Amino acid sequence: MSIYIEKIAQISIQSPLSDEWMRDPIYPTQRHCRFICPDFKQFLSPATSRRMGTLLKCALTSAFNCVKEENRTQLDGIFTGSGLGCIENTEKFLTSMLENNEQSLSPTNFIQSTHNTIGSQIAIAFQCHGYNITFSHRGLSFDSALMNALLKFKLNEIHSALVNASDEMSDAYFKLFDHTGYWKKSICTTDDFKHAISSGSFAGENSVSFLLTDKKAEHTLCEIGDIELFHTPSDKELIDRTTRFLSSYQLTLNDIDTVVLGHNGDVENDEEYNRISNLLVPHARKVIYKHIFGESFTMSAMGVYVGATCINQQHIPSHLLLQEGSTGHHKPTNILVVNHFKKIDYSITLLRSC
Amino acid sequence: MDKTLVQELKEEIIEVLNLEEMKPEDIDASAPLFGEGLGLDSIDALELIVLMEKNYGIKLKNASEGKEIFRSIEIMADYISKNRTK
Repeated sequence: MSIYIEKIAQISIQSPLSDEWMRDPIYPTQRHCRFICPDFKQFLSPATSRRMGTLLKCALTSAFNCVKEENRTQLDGIFTGSGLGCIENTEKFLTSMLENNEQSLSPTNFIQSTHNTIGSQIAIAFQCHGYNITFSHRGLSFDSALMNALLKFKLNEIHSALVNASDEMSDAYFKLFDHTGYWKKSICTTDDFKHAISSGSFAGENSVSFLLTDKKAEHTLCEIGDIELFHTPSDKELIDRTTRFLSSYQLTLNDIDTVVLGHNGDVENDEEYNRISNLLVPHARKVIYKHIFGESFTMSAMGVYVGATCINQQHIPSHLLLQEGSTGHHKPTNILVVNHFKKIDYSITLLRSC
Repeated sequence: MDKTLVQELKEEIIEVLNLEEMKPEDIDASAPLFGEGLGLDSIDALELIVLMEKNYGIKLKNASEGKEIFRSIEIMADYISKNRTK
């Protein structure tokens, strides 16, 4: 069975709802970059959006831009990944509890404080009564949601799915992470991502929606082959399982021409990506994306988005290449998107041109 | 009728219920808050209960009271002026 990425819509720290970052990326000017929001009024009625925080507005807008109105009720499933959920609403709700001595609590912030608010609000807006699930598994939240969607396709239980990855970074959470050394102390440069020598990254925000179907259409972006999740794998397990899943697509590791890696400027994190890519596909071009999108628990979704966009446009811009001059003349055909979270959890996703 | 209180309530309702598109002068103080008029819903009713408690020290004893009190901003202002503790 083949599963395809029909459409992707993103709102992040790049120009919203566009692939402008392919030609003219916006580089970070702060350690904590927030969403660049579109004009929500174009997509959401004031009545729909008046209780929503920024993350929910972004998630709904990306979902609306991903699925045509006439197809929304027929969607078979909505799969959401979010590491922190609606954390700003959670903080407002908890702060209000503290300030008001657990009395007089506003219901709106409470209602919207959960992780699965995102998927449920999309379903309500779409009037979609299909399968609906949210995964919150730290750095593998999106990857788990995607895996669930792909398994459902393979079981022939669904024929279309919206997979969404949304995360915001509140000021309070940014500060908490800052204390643990999760962020760099100065603004990141691209060189920090290509030759990391210190710890920490910079914070980004993302809401990206993928429309998956089992039918190829005129504007299909690419095929999404499969995703493998690993927990503290040995090198042998990484090689064996990746080789095995590629073989089901009549591919070998040698057929992979491009690998998308989650270099985030942290020396330990980036060394692991270098190690894995050299272990699995030393010959492949190395593409990075977090130097323009930042870091979040579900930023791996932007890696899949970047890979799918490069396949669709048959082009890899030089600013995405880890090594200068490694672009070659070959168009991207078979891409592996590699993600790891603290060298504990890993995922490998296959994207193919179609 | 306390016109200052009516104006204050309009501003508070716009803020608490995130009625971003509205200004106090857009709200008819005698129009129904629910159904027609502002078209508020049950979550808004909860927000109004919290607003009364937080800003005016009024704790509604039972939910059915709200149905009467929240008929319009004028009625709400009248109830608040008679029962406020702060």
